[in-house]
Amino acid sequence: MRDSAGPRTTRLAGPPHGPNRESLVGLGFLLPALALFAVFVLYPIVFNVQASTLRWDGINVGEFVGFGNYAAMLSDPVFVITLRNSAWWIVLTIVPQAAVGFLLAYALNHRLRGRAFYRAIFFVPAVLSPVVVGIVWQRILDPFNGVLAHVGRATGLDFLTASYLGDPETAIFAAIAVNVWMWTGFSMLFYLAGLQLIDPSIIEAARIDGVSHLQLVTRILFPLLRSTHLSLLLLGIIGSLKTFELVYVLTEGGPNHASEMLPTYTFKQAFQIQQVGYGATLSVVLLVISIVSSLSMVRAFGSGFLKGDER
Amino acid sequence: MLTPLAVLWSLPLVMVIGLSLLPTSNPQTTAFGLLPAEPSLRNYVTIWEDNPILQHLVNSLLITVPSVALVVLLGSMAAFALARLRVPLKAVIFGVLILALILPMSSIVVAVFKILQALGLYDSRLGLVLVYAALGLPFAVIVIRTSFLAVPQEIYEAARIDGAGRFQIYWRIYLPMARPAIAVVVIWHTMMTWNDFLLPLVSLGDNDLKPLTLVPLAYRGTFLSQPGALFAILVLISLPIVAVFVLLQRHLVNGLSGAIK
Repeated sequence: MRDSAGPRTTRLAGPPHGPNRESLVGLGFLLPALALFAVFVLYPIVFNVQASTLRWDGINVGEFVGFGNYAAMLSDPVFVITLRNSAWWIVLTIVPQAAVGFLLAYALNHRLRGRAFYRAIFFVPAVLSPVVVGIVWQRILDPFNGVLAHVGRATGLDFLTASYLGDPETAIFAAIAVNVWMWTGFSMLFYLAGLQLIDPSIIEAARIDGVSHLQLVTRILFPLLRSTHLSLLLLGIIGSLKTFELVYVLTEGGPNHASEMLPTYTFKQAFQIQQVGYGATLSVVLLVISIVSSLSMVRAFGSGFLKGDER
Repeated sequence: MLTPLAVLWSLPLVMVIGLSLLPTSNPQTTAFGLLPAEPSLRNYVTIWEDNPILQHLVNSLLITVPSVALVVLLGSMAAFALARLRVPLKAVIFGVLILALILPMSSIVVAVFKILQALGLYDSRLGLVLVYAALGLPFAVIVIRTSFLAVPQEIYEAARIDGAGRFQIYWRIYLPMARPAIAVVVIWHTMMTWNDFLLPLVSLGDNDLKPLTLVPLAYRGTFLSQPGALFAILVLISLPIVAVFVLLQRHLVNGLSGAIK
């Protein structure tokens, strides 16, 4: 605004007019980030939309098929399986992770010996690579050498010796259980952060009034943690829809597509059987599903909590 | 309630370390398959000698460290512009960034693979650094911007009146104040980059360039006969990332509560 160049302003050459110049500086700060972003994030989206209209192996010239891939997708039974699995994944990871994560955060929010240690134990699974987690749990669930099978044989609980990852009926649920082990600590950390924002005097006053733990949690803390719940819900939905690595290492989406998720199926189409056009179609649909579900949540609950958004 | 749950949660961790000590000569286990009957450090020597493990470790570092640095630098600059400078179409830019948070990596790998080829960055660690940086930017911008917004606007005005350039204000005043947020970004991005295997799987053909996470997959056949060595590699993959977490965990909760609000 003060553009009649005072003696102390150190300005470089360039159009010396207020708002314009300001904008240029602003853009200068943004440009490197935007350039990277445009090349590796925006362009791929455009690429996918375009490729989704082709029958294309990724190498030779593709043949235009319009909405053909989308039509084929609707009658693809594996696509239906991925939708069902995603729905299971959303419900069966978000709820237990939040419930256990909250209880842990509540227990660890007090001064307590070994608090940092407990916190680390629960959070470490979330920092491990899905490659590590996947291979470790393959071993735990192995019907011959696995820990569960050992326990089962020792105690006579024969059901523990089943091949949970190898059985199409249970594979997706076994993968979901592993996900809960991995990510509960993340929910715990979010709730710890949320609890920190609550004025301790509120809790103290409630204690003095003789409020029980249960009442404190359900009547006072839960409503105050609204933005934390919503952040976790949104992150959980997006994270579930995006699940790839863990399933890829644990089951590769098998047996016979039983634990297939949209991203693993997309990857197989594009890289293993060279159906790049169809893979792109699945990608576009996945992106649309993600956007629609996030936007409708923002609509329903207000956009304030987007600020707390992670991942 | 806490202790039993913590024991249950840590069993898989105990097992990784336990089985990494399982000698190939005696694959007997005890404690329900959690621990080797006859522990030995032999596997750690084996993986060091048999596979070019040091090279893979260096590759992981050469991919992770530059990409974290890039994300923090470019992300905080962009966050500064969005928080304090005049930028056209600010809302649109911010909206598009948020959009990218929900983009699954597996749905863009084909395109990224094509772009890297076109840029001559296929089979190159630099290519991976750039892609990870691009994918990590939205999260970094959102978290750091929130903490920049918490710095009173008056500080910015006052520094301007004192004749400080915008870059100086960003570098000297804002960046140091956003330390907790930056810690969150560093942990998050290190995790994302160090742990990922999808992108290197499709964009690196040369075995000498592959990061640690690809080793268990690349040498799967070899490891069938020596599970102990496989688990030793898993421990090696996990140690650096756990160390980063332990070093920065103090900031993590504070940084997150700044970001939630």
